[in-house]
Amino acid sequence: MSTTFLPCGIYHQEYAKEHAWWQTPFIKGKMILLLIILFFIIPFFADSYGLSLCNQISYTILGAIGVQLLIGFCGQITLGHAAFLAVGAYTSALLILEFPWPAFMLDWGLAYPVSIIVAALMAGIWSVAFGLSSARVKGFYLILTTMAAQFIIVDFIITQYVSQIGGRGQAFSIPPETIKIGPIIIDSDLKVYFMMLFFVIICTAVLANLVRSKVGRAWIAIRDNDISADVMGINVIKYKLIAFFVAGCIGGIAGSCWISNLAAISPEHFPWSWSLWLVGVILIGGVGSIHGTIFGSIFMVLVMEGLQLLVIPLADIYPKLLMDFLFIKEAAFGLAICIFMIFQPYGLSYRWQQLKNYFNLWPFSY
Amino acid sequence: MELFLMTIVTGIMVGGIYALVALGWVLIYKCSGVLNLAMGEMTLIGAYISISFYSMGMPFLLALFLSLIIGLILGILTERIFLDKLIGEPILSVIMVTVGLSFFFKGSLELIWGTDTKVFLPPVFPLEPIHIGPIIIGQAYLWSFIAAIILLICFVCFFKYTRWGLAMQATADDEMAALSLGISARFVYAAAWSIAFISAGVGGTLLGNINGLNISVAHLGLLVLPVVVLGGLNSVPGAIVGGIIIGILQNLCGAYLDQYFPGGVKEIAPFAFMAVFLLFKPYGLWGWERIERV
Repeated sequence: MSTTFLPCGIYHQEYAKEHAWWQTPFIKGKMILLLIILFFIIPFFADSYGLSLCNQISYTILGAIGVQLLIGFCGQITLGHAAFLAVGAYTSALLILEFPWPAFMLDWGLAYPVSIIVAALMAGIWSVAFGLSSARVKGFYLILTTMAAQFIIVDFIITQYVSQIGGRGQAFSIPPETIKIGPIIIDSDLKVYFMMLFFVIICTAVLANLVRSKVGRAWIAIRDNDISADVMGINVIKYKLIAFFVAGCIGGIAGSCWISNLAAISPEHFPWSWSLWLVGVILIGGVGSIHGTIFGSIFMVLVMEGLQLLVIPLADIYPKLLMDFLFIKEAAFGLAICIFMIFQPYGLSYRWQQLKNYFNLWPFSY
Repeated sequence: MELFLMTIVTGIMVGGIYALVALGWVLIYKCSGVLNLAMGEMTLIGAYISISFYSMGMPFLLALFLSLIIGLILGILTERIFLDKLIGEPILSVIMVTVGLSFFFKGSLELIWGTDTKVFLPPVFPLEPIHIGPIIIGQAYLWSFIAAIILLICFVCFFKYTRWGLAMQATADDEMAALSLGISARFVYAAAWSIAFISAGVGGTLLGNINGLNISVAHLGLLVLPVVVLGGLNSVPGAIVGGIIIGILQNLCGAYLDQYFPGGVKEIAPFAFMAVFLLFKPYGLWGWERIERV
């Protein structure tokens, strides 16, 4: 990956400036514009369809950040991340539905926020439990272990046992007005949007800052070569497990946020293909780049929606197409991954970086 | 005791089919180093093609043969279009391309054949079970096992005695040396993929004879992974023995553990076993242990 150059004629005179997030006035302006768009323009000008799309994108970002951390920054390939999303969602739902909350906590609307925190910790612990094997195995063997995590957690423990709690059958339906933060009941797309946006920004900021701290440098060293990282004095197992824990926590947050958008959760919301989808998202966006997670999520969700919009007019001519749309989506996703891996292995974020460099270096591009 | 014997025998029979599919997997890995997660869908492709020909009224063997020829062509095409360009890329890229392929195949299969369960009508193998002493075996199981064993023997002979098989073995052992001896590595990769398609197709067809065919047969492609981990990723005998062991294990768990943990123990047992096994012996029973250097 190339580095992003500074625009022509701008030089840093202090070390602190070199580490700043927003290094030039232009970037500062750009980011503030982005925040204004996110907080004021989208929520008040988009219709409910647009908002639900945004929520889907936010959920994909939250899920994919954990995968990006594990694969892109720590080099631990995981194909079972949906399991940790499921752990988060189910922990949160169970806490809301079954836990005997004291009355004042319900009145103040603390049940859901507390359940998000507990869900994050729970998912982190499960993630570490399955990440323990990374101490001994790596590469393809680790992939198999994380796959086993998916099958054991979702297809066995959650489907067979957790779903039986409370005698609700397969799906946990979440009654309206139980999900509230403080006095606000999360019941519309707009409120979900703000909540998801909050968590996306927090998680992205946490990951971005972790990556440039001691922990993150250790992760990157492990990703690049774990034996040399060990020789340099990095406690490889400890940092791998930290990576699994943080990724699990973010996954748990994603899962427990998503239940506010669903009327009912069931194991079918967290299939193995969703884990693969998340990995596909970061591959298309770009491995090892936080921008990449976001670009990949936006790209995948929008392309799939675009495909759907394309199918609807065609359905008049060929009505079977509408029924088979799910299959077309699957095939298109598969083909997209193959094409990206073959022709664009660095992902969308690499193109973005090249674009930025082009404008930064213009007119002297050498 | 009878239950135990029955379970073991059924396990061996099913294990034969697993071994057949696992053989294809091991071949691809051995020859080209690609870790293939699209095996289940490859199984389905062969099975669906042969069931289509069979329901058109062709004799079973002819239908199977035609499906194998189509599998061969598909194998070459898949290798040429998608995987040829990825030789030497990082493991994640290669795996994700096979994942992408599996999504692509699965979507296309569902688009073409739908999601309903299809059966071989009229049944290829007679329905009356065979009694051997106290043990009762379905004829479909028995014939599938026999077919699997015959094919396995054919493959082993192919690798030991034919020119192409020897070329494939040489490439698996040392690609550079094989290239310098004038073996075309690209030909070998294509051959590995088409053989994998063939063995997966036969496995799928046999399994379709037992339970009928729908999209969930693709689960077989995931069951292959515990098999190859147990046997060692690059060992052909390992795949065969591993397949039979996993078949037995699965049936034993279904028969004995199901009463304690109701639900899908049978489906989950191979993966749980694999997760534990990996911790103790990641290279499997006969796999090559790789020593890593900086």
